[in-house]
Amino acid sequence: MIGTIALAIGVVLGLILEPTVPVWLQPYLPIAVVAALDAVFGGIRARLDGIFDSKVFVVSFVSNVLVAALVVFLGDKLGVGGQLSTGVVVVLGVRIFGNAAAIRRHLFRA
Amino acid sequence: MRGEHARGGDRSLPRRLLAATRGRTTRHRPRLGAMSTSLLDSLLTDHLDHGYAEAAERKAERAAEGRTGTDYADARTLLAIGLLLVGFVLAAAYRGTAQQAPDSERARQGLVKDVEQGTAASDALQRRAESLGGQLVRERDAALTAGETGDKVSKQVRDLERAAALVPVHGPGISVQLGDAAPTQQIDPATGKSLTVPPDDNGRLRDRDLQSVVNALWAAGAEAIAINDERLAPTTTIRAAGEAILVDLRPVASPYTIKAVGDPDVLLPRFADSVAARRYQSLSSVFGISFTVQREGDLALRAATGTDLRYAEPLDTTPPPAGSAAPRSAPAGSGGGPAGTPARPTRPGRGGGR
Repeated sequence: MIGTIALAIGVVLGLILEPTVPVWLQPYLPIAVVAALDAVFGGIRARLDGIFDSKVFVVSFVSNVLVAALVVFLGDKLGVGGQLSTGVVVVLGVRIFGNAAAIRRHLFRA
Repeated sequence: MRGEHARGGDRSLPRRLLAATRGRTTRHRPRLGAMSTSLLDSLLTDHLDHGYAEAAERKAERAAEGRTGTDYADARTLLAIGLLLVGFVLAAAYRGTAQQAPDSERARQGLVKDVEQGTAASDALQRRAESLGGQLVRERDAALTAGETGDKVSKQVRDLERAAALVPVHGPGISVQLGDAAPTQQIDPATGKSLTVPPDDNGRLRDRDLQSVVNALWAAGAEAIAINDERLAPTTTIRAAGEAILVDLRPVASPYTIKAVGDPDVLLPRFADSVAARRYQSLSSVFGISFTVQREGDLALRAATGTDLRYAEPLDTTPPPAGSAAPRSAPAGSGGGPAGTPARPTRPGRGGGR
């Protein structure tokens, strides 16, 4: 409950404050979004598994975003930024789908 | 962590991870065979952060030891902060993308609007110039018809004006329709969608095509010609600027309608017999450009635009005779320029003019 409210407040804040994303940060924004989605799906699955822990959730979210951004940043410096961000998206996408499948099994028993 | 290590004793971290994950994933673990690497294996099976299992295990250990779990208020605050961050990132990303994507489109729309406004303003000014020109002609005729010589001069002026395309004309004539080849529909081999392919260079009309048709019309005896309602004056240029064709600096686009006022009975056969007409007749069958000529009962052509009067000036070598064209002296007290410089007479009521 409190999580839903916090999520809604976060979305509203993000829409109202109109944060201008600096240009140098813009390549990492999609990565950050995918990492955030991964953390959210992981959290929901852990909740359904009954092993949810808010500290793990927050730390995994923040570190996912930071590490994903760092990997892409390093890739940019090495000239393989596009490929690395594709890799990050693929890995996180596989995780998201896996977690979504687990959530589906939990909810629908199918 | 450190405390647990001390307490956990012989249970190393990897072993505990294995123990925590084994129970959950064995049923769905795909058999990848001996070739599978542990990296791929974990990528395809371990979707959940191991931290959750660890934390659950820690909690269970603590519960077994009889201690209370984590502080609930603390956990909720953390969760709220985390989800707040998540929502913020999602919304910021949405805003960033929404702002970024239509930027180019918005710039294009702005430019299109600017062009439309500029064209509208230019058209309004043109209409105003035409009405003022008509007024000027009436005033001049009224002034000239006073005397016998005036009539002659007036007629001469009118003939010259018609030759210079300064007055609108109407009458019978012919119109020539000339257009680029139609775009062709092709199937894109990559996507399978049908594509509209613009005509290649052979099917596109250039400025010299319009020039040759216009020259043929003049040669056939046309009295007045307009391309897409842009009247051609003796000094009008038809030229190319990149892909566009400019008629006196105003762009015209395909299809081009060239209207020529003149006796159709003379104009039509003569033009049809011209080299240019025959060439475009054959080009239209080869490259698909459209080319039709037809007789018109009554064509109305506007006056030409942008005809500035240009005249030669004699080189000013001798000083002007005193009294005739001498510059009027500026009113006293206005400072004035050096002697001999033509000073513009300052009017008392400045402003009010456009």
